[in-house]
Amino acid sequence: MSVPVGAFVAVSAVLFFIGVAGVLVRRNAVVILMCVELMLNATNLALVAFSRRAGLPDERGSVFVVFIFVIAAAEVAVGLAIVLSAYRNRPTVDVDEIHAMKG
Amino acid sequence: MIANVWLIPAFPLAAFLINGLFGRRWLRHATGWIASAAVAASAVLAVGVFLEVLGGKERTTVTLYEWIGVGDFHVNVAALVDPLSSAMLLVVTVVSTLIFIYSNGYMEHDHGFHRFFTWLSLFVFAMLILVMADNYLLTFVGWEGVGLCSYLLIGFWFDKPAPQKAANKAFWMNRVGDWGYTIGMITIFLVFGSLTYTEVFEKVGIATQANLLLICIALFVGATGKSAQLPLYSWLPDAMEGPTPVSALIHAATMVTAGVYLVARSTPLFVAAGPALQVVGVVGAVTAIFAATIALVQFDIKRVMAYSTVSQLGYMFLALGVGAPVAAIFHLATHAFFKALLFLGSGSVIHGMQGEQDMRKMGGLRPKMPVTYWTMLVAGGALAALPPLAGFWSKDEIVGAAYQNGHVILYAIGIITAILTAFYVTRAMWLTFHGEPRDHHLYDHAHESPTVMTLPLIVLAVGSATLGLVIGFPPDAGFIHTFLRPSVEAGVLDRVGEEPRLVTILALAAVSVGAGIVGILIGLSMYVRHRPDPSAVARAFDGYYRVLVNKYYVDELYDRRIVDLMRGAFGVLWAFDVHVVDGIANGLGRLSTLGGSGVRRLQTGIVGNYALTIVAGLLAVLVVYGGYAAGVFKP
Amino acid sequence: MSFDIIQTALFALLTIGVIGGAAGVVLINRITAAALLMAFTFLCMAGMFVLLGAETIAAFQVLIYVGAITVLILYGVMFTPQRERPYALFFQKQTPLAALVVVPIAIAVALLAFTFRDGGKAAAGGGDLPALATSVFRDFAFPFEVASVLLLAAMVGAIVLVRRDDE
Repeated sequence: MSVPVGAFVAVSAVLFFIGVAGVLVRRNAVVILMCVELMLNATNLALVAFSRRAGLPDERGSVFVVFIFVIAAAEVAVGLAIVLSAYRNRPTVDVDEIHAMKG
Repeated sequence: MIANVWLIPAFPLAAFLINGLFGRRWLRHATGWIASAAVAASAVLAVGVFLEVLGGKERTTVTLYEWIGVGDFHVNVAALVDPLSSAMLLVVTVVSTLIFIYSNGYMEHDHGFHRFFTWLSLFVFAMLILVMADNYLLTFVGWEGVGLCSYLLIGFWFDKPAPQKAANKAFWMNRVGDWGYTIGMITIFLVFGSLTYTEVFEKVGIATQANLLLICIALFVGATGKSAQLPLYSWLPDAMEGPTPVSALIHAATMVTAGVYLVARSTPLFVAAGPALQVVGVVGAVTAIFAATIALVQFDIKRVMAYSTVSQLGYMFLALGVGAPVAAIFHLATHAFFKALLFLGSGSVIHGMQGEQDMRKMGGLRPKMPVTYWTMLVAGGALAALPPLAGFWSKDEIVGAAYQNGHVILYAIGIITAILTAFYVTRAMWLTFHGEPRDHHLYDHAHESPTVMTLPLIVLAVGSATLGLVIGFPPDAGFIHTFLRPSVEAGVLDRVGEEPRLVTILALAAVSVGAGIVGILIGLSMYVRHRPDPSAVARAFDGYYRVLVNKYYVDELYDRRIVDLMRGAFGVLWAFDVHVVDGIANGLGRLSTLGGSGVRRLQTGIVGNYALTIVAGLLAVLVVYGGYAAGVFKP
Repeated sequence: MSFDIIQTALFALLTIGVIGGAAGVVLINRITAAALLMAFTFLCMAGMFVLLGAETIAAFQVLIYVGAITVLILYGVMFTPQRERPYALFFQKQTPLAALVVVPIAIAVALLAFTFRDGGKAAAGGGDLPALATSVFRDFAFPFEVASVLLLAAMVGAIVLVRRDDE
């Protein structure tokens, strides 16, 4: 037919791993949060793709996606709150410099 | 009563526990009476058991419970009640009771009063176990127990160096003997398959001469250690560092007789082992004369008595060796009385002289301490074997048996030793009680001991005077002979030749008495009339004299040859312990620490690293999953 | 048939947008630019949803991600100014190690993804709104309520976290 579901899943996979790479590679805490959002988006895409192409009457995957929206939003809010708190302590958001829990 | 025989050691054990737990804070001086009452109760029970055995129950085994039952190895906690053990029970409990009562007075001002009675009660318990046991292993438990208590009591005044060293010396020498006992015990089990006396003695025939010889020599080594015979004797004189009641009880009347008891009990083995009995007799005789020579020149009153004990124990082993075990036990009983009396009397003197033990500082004490004097005189006479005192009957029987069984040399040694014995006891009595007082300050303060101390002295004196007549007359046909014979039957060797004639018996008795009188006369002559003067004799034989005073330098010999060697070996072992054993223990600790500090470096505190670890874990999971899916890993 | 070509072309374009945007987020050092590229990625995602026929989800995507979350991120950027640094310092020290770990997994998963070759059974035509509404407000009403409580909790938590102590 049209675009095979595998294509969407492939895009989702690539996007997810770009997000993972971003989390592991970038120093700025805010950027890390952005990459986490990318990961969440990737899962959303995969879920919706499977949900729409499964031939089921209801939209189960999409319902799950709605909840992921909620959680992602909450997570960004709280995550930023933490970053701002940490920034107040020492004026840095560089994750390589925040190692008070060492040892 | 025999069924309740286990109550006899139970009372001293209870006294030990009560005194041990509550003695220091709550009971204090009551500990003495508790302990004395316990031992007295045991004595009463022992009399009952004795009477019951006398009445015909010749051999009973009273089993408490099965102690070890592993495969073929069975050992019970059981008591063998027969004439030998009931006689020993009686001697141990009666003499202990008297000494306990005496100690209430002697130790009154000592800070460790409660501790003294705790250990003493434990000692009596262990000794009773030793005597009552029906197998070699349980006897060994008692054997070790008395050794432990000996250590604790010799080192009673542990804050002073001399008692510490003496206690250690006693314990280590005993240990060497115990090694012999253990080897003997193991061999007995390997050969006979059992450790119970009755079972082993029934099967004596199945063992070879070599086996039996090994067993008997090994057991005798143990007896040598415990009973202070050559070469393991030198701990006993040093043990005099302990309180005098300890010397009386442990190192005169009871513990040191354990070796004699062991050999007497094992007579079936010794008799079948050929030369083993000879060895016992020779060692006994040589020790007897050896120790007597040293006692001639000692100045410490307790040391004289200690060497005398070694010498008299030698007589007992001599008796066992020549085939007269009844005489050995007889002498054991009489010696318990008169030697305990001599020690307690010495204690009374020391108590009156404010702790002075050197006879050179005594003299002329007779008017000041009459009860002590007369009781010690009786005991001294018994030691010198003057009739009709107890010592005469038992010692005469020993030397008589030696002669009649053909051991003429041993007989001669016995007679010479008797002369020496009479001499040194006369010397000791004279230096202490007669003549001019040599230290006037001490003399002025000297006083007789309180009744709690003199009463036991009197009782023991009565015993020393009459015991021999009561149980040992007529010779070889008295009460004790018929009573004990069934227990030690195997060891009674038949006379060489026919029944002795009355003339022979009387002649032997005359020689024994003569030896005693000769010794006394020489003593009196030298010390009363100074003909010859003792100091002149000492100067004339200066070399020999110094050898004797220095106890033949045996301690120095042991120190150099043996102890120093041991120190070298111990140094190696100590190094091993410090470097290897501790090294391993510390090394394990350090390993843990190193592991910890190594793993700690995983915690970098940087969140990114943690995220990386999570992803790496994901990779691992995928690898494993892929492996299963591809069939590389088998589930 | 022409419909198919349009769909495939759109898909290709959107893919480039998504992947390119994401790569930009990871690789570009200027934070503001990264944030805006992230918003662009979200938009292309919404387009993908529309391609799949999930218009409602696409609407939500735009509202929530492009709207709220992007703004939040920009606020975050605004309140945490950092000084300029050389490009190399924008990457954590563990970058080589991370590459070593991520690349194999990425390849494996991507390959796995391509096994879904068929088109899948398309749902009944039209959008997803009726079915979605029914599911959310009837079948999954309880989780829906819980999610709203969760949002409340997150909000309170965020406020508490950023409060200054002397207030």
